[in-house]
Formats: sequence, C-alpha cells, structure tokens
Amino acid sequence: MMRVTAEAKLATKRRILEAARDCFSKAGFEAATTRDIAAGAEIAAGTLFNYFPAKEAIAIALVAEALGGARVKFESRPRGESLEEDLFALIAAELRALRPHRGYLRPVLETALSPLARAEASPEGEAMRVEHLEAVGRVIADHAPLGPLSAAVWSLYWTLYTGVLAFWACDKSRQQEDTLAVLDHYLKAFVGSLSNPE
Amino acid sequence: MPPNVAELVEALSELESSEGPTPHGPLREALAELAVRPGPEGALRRLWAFGGLQAQVALAYLVYWVRSWSLDADGRERELNEAHLRAAIKMLRTMGYLRGAATKLGQALANLPHVLPDQIVETLERLHFEAPPMHFALLREHVRNELGQEPEDAFATFDQRAFAAASLGQVHRATLKSGEDVAVKIQYPAIGRSVRSDFRNLSAFLLALRLGRGWDPMKAQIEEIRRVIELETDYQQEAEWQRRARAAFREDDEIVVPRVHDERSTRRVLTMEYLDGVHLPAFLTGDPPQELRDHFGSLIVQAGCRLHCAGRLLYADPHPGNYLFRADGRLGWLDFGCVRPYTDREWECNRLADLAIRGDDDDMVRAIRATLGLTEGQEIDPEILATNVAFCRWIWRPYQRLGPFDFGDPGYLREGVEHVVALGRARIPSPWLTMNAFIERWYFGMGAMLYRLRARVDMRSIWLRERQAAGWGPP
Repeated sequence: MMRVTAEAKLATKRRILEAARDCFSKAGFEAATTRDIAAGAEIAAGTLFNYFPAKEAIAIALVAEALGGARVKFESRPRGESLEEDLFALIAAELRALRPHRGYLRPVLETALSPLARAEASPEGEAMRVEHLEAVGRVIADHAPLGPLSAAVWSLYWTLYTGVLAFWACDKSRQQEDTLAVLDHYLKAFVGSLSNPE
Repeated sequence: MPPNVAELVEALSELESSEGPTPHGPLREALAELAVRPGPEGALRRLWAFGGLQAQVALAYLVYWVRSWSLDADGRERELNEAHLRAAIKMLRTMGYLRGAATKLGQALANLPHVLPDQIVETLERLHFEAPPMHFALLREHVRNELGQEPEDAFATFDQRAFAAASLGQVHRATLKSGEDVAVKIQYPAIGRSVRSDFRNLSAFLLALRLGRGWDPMKAQIEEIRRVIELETDYQQEAEWQRRARAAFREDDEIVVPRVHDERSTRRVLTMEYLDGVHLPAFLTGDPPQELRDHFGSLIVQAGCRLHCAGRLLYADPHPGNYLFRADGRLGWLDFGCVRPYTDREWECNRLADLAIRGDDDDMVRAIRATLGLTEGQEIDPEILATNVAFCRWIWRPYQRLGPFDFGDPGYLREGVEHVVALGRARIPSPWLTMNAFIERWYFGMGAMLYRLRARVDMRSIWLRERQAAGWGPP
C-alpha cells in the first residue's frame, strides 16, 4: 500500500483550503457543500473528511490562517505611541485579513472563538485564542510591564475582542467604519481597566 | 497658536487650588479624562451625558446662588466667576465627550460673547481647535479604507500629528507626490451615527418640555439642522461647496478659498491646498491696528455676501476656526461643510428683504408676511408683527447705516440676542423658520467675529457692491 507523505498531505490540505475559499466566495458559506469543495480540490468526497470533519472546520482553518498572517505583518511594523494604539493596529490588521472570510465568521465565532466555547470542544479555536492572546501579551509587555495578568483580565479582553469580531461580521456601515469606532471605544475601556483595575 | 489643553490646565491651576474637591473630581483630572474619553456610539449613554450636562451646569449656578447670599460684592463676583468656570469645564467635558452635534452646539454657544459669561466662551472656544484626537492606528485604517492606501503611501509626506481638530474631524499636514503642500481633513468614523443619535436625544428632551403650538415649527427646525449637520459628514458635498466658493473670488478680492484635490478626497477624507495664517485669537494677541482689524472685518463680511449674492448659498458656520488671518493681508476661508442653498421660496423672501432694507415700513411688513408664509388678506398677530419688526430693524441696522458700522459695540450683539429670545418666546409657527435658524447662526457668528475684532465695517457699501456685481439690478 502506498504511503501518503507528510508533504503530499500538506499539499492536499492546501488544495482543500483553496477550493473552499473559492466555493465560499462564489456560492456562499451556507450553499457550499463538502462535495463541491472536494471536487474543486480534485479529491474524492470521502477523502476530504480525512482532513476536516466538517465544512465549519475548514472555515475555522481559513480564519486561523488569515489571523496568523495578519499577526506576522503586524509584528513586522514599528510600534506606535501607546498601548491602545498598538492593540488597535493588531486587531485592525486581523480584521483586514479576515475580509475575504467575513461571510462565514459568525459560525466560526459560535463554534470556535466564543468566550463560552470549551477548549476541548474546539482545539483549533483554542489555538487561535492562545496565539492571539500571546500577541496581545507581547504588545502589553512592550508598553507597560505589568507582570502576569489575571485570568479575569484575559477573560474581559477576550469577551471584548470577540464582541468586536461579532459586531464587524454584521456591520452594515460604509467600509465597516462603525467597527473602527467600536473597537477604539472598547480598547480605551480595556486599557483603562489595566491602569485602574478596581 | 491657540492654547492647548495643557496650557488651559496651567492657566486654571490657581483657581483649581481654591476650588477644592468637587463631586466630579479636580479640574486637572477632568481635562485629562477629556483627552482620552472616546465618543460613545450608544444612544443611551449619550442621553445620560446630556442629562448629566444639564444637571451639572444647573448645580454650579445653584451653588453660586446659595453661597452668594452671604458674600460681599467682590466675593460675589469671585463666586460668580468660579461658578461660570466650573460650568464651562463641565460643559467642555461633556461636549468633548459627545463630539458630533453636541460639539457643534458648543461651538455655536462660544460664538456668543456677552450672552454667555466670558469664562464659558473662552473655554468653549477650545472646541474650535481641540477635540479628542484619533490615534494614528485608527486614522491609518480609516484612510486606507477611504483612499485605498495608507497615508504614508497616498502622500509623499504625512504628518502623524493633527495640526487642527474640529467637531467632525481632524486635519493633518501632508505633501502630495507633486510636492504641493496640502491639508488633509479626516472625519471621525461613525460620526454620522453620533449626530443622528444626538438629535434623537435632543428631540426627546424638547418633547418632554411640552412646547404646545411651538412644537411643530421647532421640530421642523431641529430636523432641518440635523439634516444640514448630517450633510456636513459628507465631505464630497463639502468639496462641491468649496469649489463653488473658490470660483466666486478673484485674486484682487483678497479672499482665498483652498483648492480641493479630488483624487485624494472621498466622503470621509478631504484633501485641499494648505493655507498659512493664524486664527483670530493669535491674530488678536499681536494687538493689530484698527485699520487692519477693519480690513479683515470687511473681508469676512464680503466673503459671506459674495456667496449669498452670487452663489445663492448661505454660509452658516462663521466661527474663528474657519478663518485665517494671513500676513499678506488676505483672508483664508475654510470649511464649507455647513453651507445651505436657498430654496426658491426662501430666495423670494430674500428679494423682499433686499427691497425692504432700502424701503419703508410697508416694505418691511411685506417681507415679514412673506417669511411667515402669510397669504394675501391673512391677519397677522400684532405682537408677532412687533417682535419681527424689532428684529428686522436690529439686523438691518448695519446695512442701513451710511459709512462704517462699529461691531465692537457689545450692546449691539446683546440687543440681538434679546430679539432672538423674544422671537423664541413668541413661538411663531412659520415654514420659513428653518431658514431663520441658519441665518441667525450666520449673522451671530459673523457678528461675534467682528465684535471680537472690534472691527468697523461699511456693511452697506459691501452689500450694495456685491448685489450689483451679482446682477441684482440698481440699488
């Protein structure tokens, strides 16, 4: 029996992601089927499930990939003048990278990123959360060496962050400018809570 | 340069030390907080802020009233000043917080010296130049959404620090790739939503006052003001008014309107030629000679008249932040967001007013009846007529005077406010009232500028010259 190499697996996974991105943008997330995605990736319908258990898992992978790329770009830029400015720049870079995926961000939020989601239920979501919070931690450390932050602070932050993502996913304002105002407002509240914890 | 918040704090520190702690915290804290507070988008929070503003201002005056019973005259004066100042600071906090329409209201109030106490006027004046700034990350994202490029790529140079702030946006210096210096005005994101929210709150408050027969015209007036301020959030419309204004002036008019750069302008970003010059407070710091005061005062009047006569447009935002006093003697004229074209009906009323200024009492009554929308044979309430006649006589006085009119006379503006208050009390139902709100804003704004300049302006000559140049026929 022929063994599938790790490289071949990676290549197949990439083809699935590309095909899914294409299907989601053309047909929409709801209408796209795993059969369509498999056909687009030139694999058998059943093979797709060796890589992703469901359509939602593909969406999660696409979102995770976009967020990771945005963080790399953010890290390569010079830092701003204030903590809230840099946190804003980080999240704005993520939102920009998420634009092609906006149509299916809601199911991703519900299944993987929700503050109520359990880590063991969505390891991919948990990985995204950890990577984002690590980036936030580095930004905070750059501006304000506060030492380890409490779980309550991180919980507050994650709730605000996912709230912004949810708002953005439904934002009908021109160029989603309302989200920029909301994000600015939330970050001021969060940074304010760091300096005045009570 | 106008004083900034830090200088304001410094100037007020002596008072702060005598003020003692207030329920709202020390002055310094309040101003520091103002600089970082975001503009809330939620209607409920805005409602709270409006309510809080009323309560705080009322409280400051109540404290004064109670304490003044036991003070001598000097002490009373001191107490009054402190009460004014506390009220001003609280107003500034709330208005800076609300941005949007409330900030516009703050600017309008600041245009009325001798209506509000000096301390409040001086403090509110900061709103012409200082509003809580956007940090650069927010600005970069916003510009990128609008222009498709980040500011550093869209321009050869882009100054990250705003050099001017306004109620609806902030202004940065930049250089085009052609090398031309420009000013880039960038609007706060979601400010349109803020304006709508502010006006919903304002309507809710006024509704609670049970205005009776005065409600419908006031509602129409508020709706009209909301519509125009909301139009101010469309920089493409503003660019159009600015282009028309620029085209109305020649080199020898000594009035300069900056050129708009369309390729770098959108509904939220307006790029225009950079003009140097100083604003009114800095100009006055140099104690300019009377001749120069009169010169600039005349240019301010001429600018408004030209737009009115030749452009059929009303410029309703004449506050100190919108004029530049230039070293070469020319007047820089900025910000055409609050410009309103006259309707045919309003224009006809203007024509009748134009006749009445030069005519007799019958002409005046005819003009008043037209502005009130009265048909032939319809009776006019004698009290309403008398109130309107008094207002018209006041507003037309500078036009009727032969030779320069002294706008430095504080009695003139104060008298005008009394007429406006009387008109308000009369609650006159008129479809034309919506326009009156803007005419009043223009006239009081211009009057306040000329008062502060202590300018003597030959209104009549300017007006006759402008109307003739616009082809209105012989005077």
